[in-house]
Amino acid sequence: MAGRVLEIDRVSKRYGSVVALQELSFEVRAGELFGFVGPNGAGKTTTMRIVLGVLAADAGAVRWGGEPITFATRRRIGYMPEERGLYPSMGVTEQLVYLAELHGMRAPDARAASARWLERLGLADRGGEQLQKLSQGNQQRVQLAAALLFSPDVLILDEPFSGLDPVAVDVMSAVLREQADAGISVLFSSHQLELVEQLCDRVGIIRAGRMVAAGSVEELRSGSAPRYWVDAPGAAAGWAEEVLGATVVRVDGSRTLVELPTSTGDQALLQAALATGPVREFRRDTPSLSELFRSVITEEPAA
Amino acid sequence: MSSATPDRSALGPRRAIYLIARREFVTRIRGKVFTIGTIVAVALLALYAVLQLAVIDRINTTTTFKVGFSGPATALAQPLEAASSSLGFKVHVSDIATDAQGRSDVRAGSLDALVEGTPGAPQAVVKTGIDPTLQAALVALAKQEVLSNDLSAAGLSPAAVESQINAVSVRIDTLQPATAAQLQGPIIGFVMAFALYLFIGIYGSVIGQGVVAEKASRVVEILLSTVRPGQLLLGKVIGIGLVGLIQLGIIALCGLLLTVPTGVLALPGAAIGAVLIGVMWFVLGFILYALMLAATASLVSRVEEVSSATVPVTMLLVVTWLLAYVVAIPAIDAVTGGGAAPHGLATLTTVLSLIPPFTPVLMSIRMAAGEVPLWEGLLAVALVLASIVGVTWLGARIYANSILRFGARIRIRDALRRSP
Repeated sequence: MAGRVLEIDRVSKRYGSVVALQELSFEVRAGELFGFVGPNGAGKTTTMRIVLGVLAADAGAVRWGGEPITFATRRRIGYMPEERGLYPSMGVTEQLVYLAELHGMRAPDARAASARWLERLGLADRGGEQLQKLSQGNQQRVQLAAALLFSPDVLILDEPFSGLDPVAVDVMSAVLREQADAGISVLFSSHQLELVEQLCDRVGIIRAGRMVAAGSVEELRSGSAPRYWVDAPGAAAGWAEEVLGATVVRVDGSRTLVELPTSTGDQALLQAALATGPVREFRRDTPSLSELFRSVITEEPAA
Repeated sequence: MSSATPDRSALGPRRAIYLIARREFVTRIRGKVFTIGTIVAVALLALYAVLQLAVIDRINTTTTFKVGFSGPATALAQPLEAASSSLGFKVHVSDIATDAQGRSDVRAGSLDALVEGTPGAPQAVVKTGIDPTLQAALVALAKQEVLSNDLSAAGLSPAAVESQINAVSVRIDTLQPATAAQLQGPIIGFVMAFALYLFIGIYGSVIGQGVVAEKASRVVEILLSTVRPGQLLLGKVIGIGLVGLIQLGIIALCGLLLTVPTGVLALPGAAIGAVLIGVMWFVLGFILYALMLAATASLVSRVEEVSSATVPVTMLLVVTWLLAYVVAIPAIDAVTGGGAAPHGLATLTTVLSLIPPFTPVLMSIRMAAGEVPLWEGLLAVALVLASIVGVTWLGARIYANSILRFGARIRIRDALRRSP
């Protein structure tokens, strides 16, 4: 259903004295790929398990299309747990059909969907084999098929890319993109930040159970002070400090990375550089997601 | 997405339980415990039946004595032949010309005995010793000969006296006729109880292993995002229990088919009745123990830890079998053997058989012996059903609270508390 939003609203969870989630809030819109990043133990898996109803939250709510999520609506969520969960000694097709039936599909539809997904993921001839006979990467494809088989409205994948070879990463990315384009809300966690940056419409950075930044990578960038690479071979050391509010982040040979407060225009910096002699390069630096991630994670003290 | 959304009501609790039970059933019936277990059990049964047949055969095979007669004693040859069949042996008689010839035949072994002398005072020549049956027959024949001679001398007809003697019999009044069930019940009960103990143990451990295997492989995370813990638990118990029941049924049927025609069990009726009672107690006992085993198994995360986690429950099962062996079977044996049970044993058996964890095994023994009043049987069933309700509630709670907690073993007390 177009326009449905998965809302995680001030969800809190503690394990004994350990606070796992603290009023965590974010939303995944329909047709959106949402990348969930954060250090180990930040609460990503806990959040996903709560959305799936596998864990109960202490406080807060999970809503789907404005309604609190129920047992019936949870069946519309495709889930790929971090520690892969399938029956090792069961046949591939057999368990895909079983899991699809458990999600409310009829056997003939389940068989057709299973055949379609195995074909799509390049495992068409492996359906009759036991799962444990497959390679790690192929088992992961089966796991993805298990999450997608019953045409879910929401996809939640915990570290879907870990342990995949580059070809499998491409297949996985293409499938996730395609699902999002078909109107499904896709939430996945990953430590591969370049991939997340490339793939996701929006990103949420979680630390110690709190969402510290959420938005498109562009939006996250706009939150930080702009930086410029300036290559001025004739400049003396410390030239950039003349500019109001500028800080030198790094010096790399004749190149200098300068951070400016938004109040100071970039033209002031360019003029200061030109005053030292020729300028070979003047470029706005766009921090990668990993740089943003590092700065966000280290900036604020732990709550 | 609404067009692609399947009917949400398609997965009611009943269908969820059915799907889970079906998977367990299909997986287990192809598994080793079922296939190899059934083949081995049926092979053992067949071997047992064949051995029994051989033993019975040997008992039924009658020995043949080769007996030579010489001189006047030859008159005994005919009566000995006539009497042999009723005495349970065969005899091959021959006339021997001289005593010397006969003695050499005996020495050579071509004769078992040489009878010489007169019919009234026969003398048997044997090599090393005489078979007691043959000796008794010869003595009886000689006595009859003497008696006939005396009767004739007294002017009476030996034939008339004989027929008069043969007409005499003793009328037997049985005050407490032993029922068929009492005669074979204890044996059937013993076999049934042992089968129950074995099957509950084996299939209970299959449940325990299955619960932890799902936990260890994390399949349970996917399963519990679409079915409730109670449904998963129940589906497993039903699916695996059915496989056990079918195996028990196949083995029992093979047992009946093999033993009834061979005469090892003379009473198919009683045996079938006992099997039906056994099936009922298997179902109840299995559910009771399977729930306890599943709940305790769910406390651990690794398959290697299952047996240590389920020790309290398996001990209970072992104690049940010990009680059956030490208390119930001797008590039943004493009663059906016609005597009184040793002091207090019968009462102890009755009391123990009404305590739910012991009931399935002990009651199947008592019921097979046919000594359980109807009200007691119904009470036992009711108590077991009530405890199943209790164990379902407790077990499902422990299971639901532990099944997603990975890592170290969880204490039962923590598992019983509401999940944090």
